[in-house]
Amino acid sequence: MTELLQLRGISKRFGPVVACDAVDLTVREGEVHGLLGENGAGKSTLMNVLLGLTQRDAGTIIHRGKTVHVGGPRNAIGLGFGMVHQQLSLVEPLTVWENVILGDRGRVDRAKACADVEAVAARYGLPVDPLSRVDRLSAGERQRVELIKCLRRDPSVLVLDEPTSLLTEAESAELFAVLRRVVRAERRAVILISHRLAEITAATDRVTVLRRGRVVHTGRTAETTPPELARWMVGREVAVEAEAAALGVLVAPAQAAATTTAAPVLRVRDLRVLVGGTPRLDGLSLDVAPGEILGLYGVEGNGQDVLGDVLAGLVTPDGGTVEVGGQPIDLTRPGALHLAGVGVVPEDRRTALVLDMTVAENLAMKAPMSAFPNRRRMRAAAGRLVEEYGIAVPSLDAPARALSGGNQQRLVLARELSAAPRVLVAAQPTQGLDVGAIGDVHRRFQRVADQGVGVLLISTALEEVLALASRVAVISSGRIAGILPAEEATGERLGLLVGGA
Amino acid sequence: MLESVDTILSSGVRLTAPLAFAACGEYVAERAGTMNISVEAMMLSAAYGSVATASATGSATTGLLAGVLVGMVVGWVHGNLSHRLALNTFVVGLVLNALALGLTSYLITVSTLDSQRPSQASILLLLGIAPLTWWLVERSRWGLELRASGEDPRSAAVTGIRVDARRRQALLWCGALAGLGGAYLAVGEVGSFNQNMTAGRGYLVIAAVIFGAWRLGRTLLGCAVFGLADALRLALPALGVTLNSQVLVAAPYLLALLAMLSFRTSSRAPRALRQG
Repeated sequence: MTELLQLRGISKRFGPVVACDAVDLTVREGEVHGLLGENGAGKSTLMNVLLGLTQRDAGTIIHRGKTVHVGGPRNAIGLGFGMVHQQLSLVEPLTVWENVILGDRGRVDRAKACADVEAVAARYGLPVDPLSRVDRLSAGERQRVELIKCLRRDPSVLVLDEPTSLLTEAESAELFAVLRRVVRAERRAVILISHRLAEITAATDRVTVLRRGRVVHTGRTAETTPPELARWMVGREVAVEAEAAALGVLVAPAQAAATTTAAPVLRVRDLRVLVGGTPRLDGLSLDVAPGEILGLYGVEGNGQDVLGDVLAGLVTPDGGTVEVGGQPIDLTRPGALHLAGVGVVPEDRRTALVLDMTVAENLAMKAPMSAFPNRRRMRAAAGRLVEEYGIAVPSLDAPARALSGGNQQRLVLARELSAAPRVLVAAQPTQGLDVGAIGDVHRRFQRVADQGVGVLLISTALEEVLALASRVAVISSGRIAGILPAEEATGERLGLLVGGA
Repeated sequence: MLESVDTILSSGVRLTAPLAFAACGEYVAERAGTMNISVEAMMLSAAYGSVATASATGSATTGLLAGVLVGMVVGWVHGNLSHRLALNTFVVGLVLNALALGLTSYLITVSTLDSQRPSQASILLLLGIAPLTWWLVERSRWGLELRASGEDPRSAAVTGIRVDARRRQALLWCGALAGLGGAYLAVGEVGSFNQNMTAGRGYLVIAAVIFGAWRLGRTLLGCAVFGLADALRLALPALGVTLNSQVLVAAPYLLALLAMLSFRTSSRAPRALRQG
């Protein structure tokens, strides 16, 4: 196989942070090349350099044997580099065909654009209606549109950045099958960025592992094992359950469901939420007992995000009740859930933090505060939490923005738990975290549950739910399709419930 | 009675025209993602510039063209300040509005302007400009990139669109048409320049775009409603009706507020306008 793309000695620093340090990457024709690394390892920066979105400090890009200049995104598109971004680059109120031709030049020809979309769709098996508006499509369909947008330009190198983070297992499998077809087409290569080991081992031919901006391994995927990759990626031995979660291997939950007989600390009854006339929650009911972790598992878009928003007080439901410790909560009053003792780790941790305020201020937000807070006491309290939760911060006065994703998550968790909640609601608490951080977050949840807090874990990652929860509730179309004790919750049985009974 | 209806209608059309010209511009600026409040400055300074030019050259047409140019200058300044130097667009707009009011008020004290003969034929320009604006925004490549910039600037930039450039261009277009609106008001309608002669018509234009839910047809309908309300207000004393005319001055804004309330659930505003 010939070398299609070579990156040589790519370096990029952002202020004092070295994102890429003399990175070499060679991609061959006809291969799916995995780019593995923790968050902040430099994967995205490297690809942004290739795509002309970031200017490199040093290094050369060689495409089909020739040194090329990549000055900007149009430049990169012209060279045949296409990228499907993690946050998709689709303009939602526009239609599919409008999005697909967005980066083009020249006259707008709707009929031709639609024909193009359909031709690419048929060629790679990516069915989508060119006339529908993007904001009416599901996550999987949007990914398809983004792929079509890239593939229509006939790219020689196609980069996918964490493409499965919003997809179901089935949609992911379908995507990888499409990628196979893409590279099989002449003179093409795919670079797959991921931090999921299972994905890398299943879908790639060769793999390059980055750690802290440097290449620590490159070679054929078949010649390595997932544990080896994990060690390269993390650079240390990782906890068993975190590794298992990253590998997609299921481990038995730590404890059985012995506590379900206690009176529930969180009781949700018949919750209804309408968004634009369609029910997102349709009579959802569930109980969480003190000391248990109830896993809420389901495919993205079945209402779990809405439930998280309701319990965070962001959305007022159109019907139904929530009781905490037997007391009904007036959901129309802001802060009522917080006062009743519900701690929330929302899906997007940036909504839980004021990113431009300091670490100490963010930690103090839930603490009772006088009109004139004592800053020294606030910093002292923050210092204790930072130490207890092992949050890596440059200083207590650094803005929360300066922290890595894992440390932001610990910050949220520390604050929510410092308020001594009776119920902890966590939505996708480990999304986007690296293996080390996942293990840490999981241990925290278990400890919290041991202390008698009722934990509602909302997750689309089956292995996470099975690793932590003592009972698993499956959400489907805005209602609970079934609840299983963890020991009976096999992948098959859950799959059937998810499928909708 | 029939006669007075006729009068109200014809004066309504004449009062609608400046709003409609400027609304075609403001519509484009907002679709590109700029909540452009300097439309008032564009109209006012263009009104002065057109009268000054018309009085110097003796040609109403030259006056109109000068108004277009003055409006574009304001748009150029606004565009560069907020979409090159990244200053807050509201602050820039407020400053420009205050500046235009102060500057034109000063200039009329130091210059003498001849009264010009009105040339109302320029109202026919609207028949060309409105469809052209619609076509540009909805059917051209430029308009597609413009809408993408207004709806999702990040995605647009990733796709290779120069978002700031599109927004500056949209502000130039807005300046040209708001300038034409101001010039039409001054040269085409009144024939002279008075202090603060636009008197908040720029804000009325913004209200019309909101009333129109960011669709051109409905925006122009909004202009017509506001123009007729204005004509009615002026005609009231002649009709012998003693309704407080201040209420009618407030009416368009009240309508815009009601329109916003009714779109609250299905907001169609370009997403870039909804941030912050």
